[in-house]
Amino acid sequence: MDELDDADPTCLVRVERDAAGTVLVVLSGELDLGNIDAIDAEVASALADKPDHLVVDAAELRFADSSAIALWLRWAGTVSHLELRDPSPLLRRVVTRMGLSEKLGVTP
Amino acid sequence: MGEQRDAQRWWFLLPAAALIVGLVITAALADISHRVYERNQNHLLDLRVRDAASVLTEVLPDLQTALASAAELADATDGNVAKFKQFVAPYVAAGPEHQFEDVSLWRLGDLQHGPVTVVGPAPRLRTGEASTFFAAGEKKRKLSVIGFLRAPGLRLGYGYATATTTGGYAVYAESPLPADRRSPIAQTSAFAGLDYALYLGRSDRAGNLLLTNASNTRPSGRSATVRVPFGDTALTLEMSTHGSLSGELPEDLPWIILISGVLLALMAAVGALRLTQRRRVAERLASDNRRLYAEQRSIAQTLQHALLPDRLPTIPGVQTAARYEAGERSVDIGGDWYDVIEGPGERLLLVVGDVSGRGLRAATTMASLRYAVRAYAAQSDDPPTILGKLSRLLSVMDDRQFATVLCVEVSAARQELTVTSAGHLPPLLIGSGQASYVDVEVGLPVGLERGSAYSSTTVSAPAGATLLAFTDGLVERRGENLDDGLARLARMARIGGGAGPESMSLPSLLDTLVTDLQDDRAIDDIAIVGLRWTN
Repeated sequence: MDELDDADPTCLVRVERDAAGTVLVVLSGELDLGNIDAIDAEVASALADKPDHLVVDAAELRFADSSAIALWLRWAGTVSHLELRDPSPLLRRVVTRMGLSEKLGVTP
Repeated sequence: MGEQRDAQRWWFLLPAAALIVGLVITAALADISHRVYERNQNHLLDLRVRDAASVLTEVLPDLQTALASAAELADATDGNVAKFKQFVAPYVAAGPEHQFEDVSLWRLGDLQHGPVTVVGPAPRLRTGEASTFFAAGEKKRKLSVIGFLRAPGLRLGYGYATATTTGGYAVYAESPLPADRRSPIAQTSAFAGLDYALYLGRSDRAGNLLLTNASNTRPSGRSATVRVPFGDTALTLEMSTHGSLSGELPEDLPWIILISGVLLALMAAVGALRLTQRRRVAERLASDNRRLYAEQRSIAQTLQHALLPDRLPTIPGVQTAARYEAGERSVDIGGDWYDVIEGPGERLLLVVGDVSGRGLRAATTMASLRYAVRAYAAQSDDPPTILGKLSRLLSVMDDRQFATVLCVEVSAARQELTVTSAGHLPPLLIGSGQASYVDVEVGLPVGLERGSAYSSTTVSAPAGATLLAFTDGLVERRGENLDDGLARLARMARIGGGAGPESMSLPSLLDTLVTDLQDDRAIDDIAIVGLRWTN
């Protein structure tokens, strides 16, 4: 039963926009295949105006799977610059190993 | 499961036990309450009968006193008839002291001539009976009692004799009894509600019945008997009751206990039954869930294996093996794959890939990529070209997926390998007591840019070396740095993968790694493909 119960961990998102037009997306919890669509829908309106700069704050993100990376890559495709800020060490190394540090604005 | 089935078979035990225990307790309580009630009632009736007896005991001496006084008077006046008549007249005449219907005076030495004088109607006592009758009470100076209990004209006769040396006198009186011997108890009396029967003598034979208020001569129900001395004989008083002497609640209490107890026991049993049934339903649901979970996992694994190669090709001097292990918790099919493709000129192309996400979408993308690689390889494309073409097939913007792919090319002719990576983890090369990751130039994962350029890296392999290519499930752990996972794999593989005495066969090495590295922190599926130079 446990296996089924926590198959859908929660992820919370907060979207902010500053005067310069930078959109800040703060994620916390666990982001995976089960909830990326919901998170995507929450952020969609902020990305509709095609902001120049998008910052994804991952400091409070305990876990992110490959579909989360796919989501950020799609967001990166709609803005001129995306920065994945404060990823966990694991996430940072995964992104770097995939050769995605430049795309996702992660310092190796 | 066996215990569970047993529990299901005995599901009725708990409700049945609740019912039985409830009923037993109820029966015991009802019985105790009934016994207490009975004892209480018997005790109360005893008290009432004794009360009645003491009333009788107080009244009876009056009879004796009246007759004894009359006899003493006759004795003292030597049978003065006028004085006797004057004395007994109030007892015979109508009035509050009226006790006797007739009173007669007898001379003891001269009984055969009948009474000296009579006040009232002639007595029933025949002259012949008189001597034995008076003789009975004479010596004891007690009242002698005789009953004329046959209708018509029921009477009680009393005699009192004073025996003296000169002869003495006897006084005889009679009281009437109601014709049907019925005398009700007044509603206001302390004995109202009780039945009584008063017998002359020491037995309650019907023939001795003096008075009763019951319609049956024999009282029924709860009864108590008491005897009161009456002259030379006694009165037997029997009292009985049909109802309760202490109100209706104590009488009904055993029934109230019984009924409410049975109801409570039934409710407890029904409650227990519901509880058991709810538990059974929950157990069945849990078992269904387990079965469905196992089923889904089994379907996913079957499909996964169907999408992966059945068996791997080999070339002279090079051995290959692969494993696929679904993540501990996964019920979904994954997007990991491996492949070994035989090329012209005794060459092998090892491929390991990982499509982002899970489920059917990931699996179908994985299958297309896998067969696309085979198709491009069949066209004799080199790995950088293959990956470049592959990057045109997938777009993260449209398909919401990307993939990492690793290609390793080896030939039987040369002890070297050429590695090309599209965002994939590097392969591990084990040989000469060393285990190190091949330093590869990593290109973008497939799906990010159409027509990405890739370059390959060629390194030489020592004799008997082992190469492992894998997906991230083997090394990624929650809360752990990726490099720590990679270091752990290198450490474990160095011993079993080397040429030393602890060396394992390639299949055993893969089995060991997959088993030992899969713990509950494992996130993802594991695909691993191994290659060993055997010359």
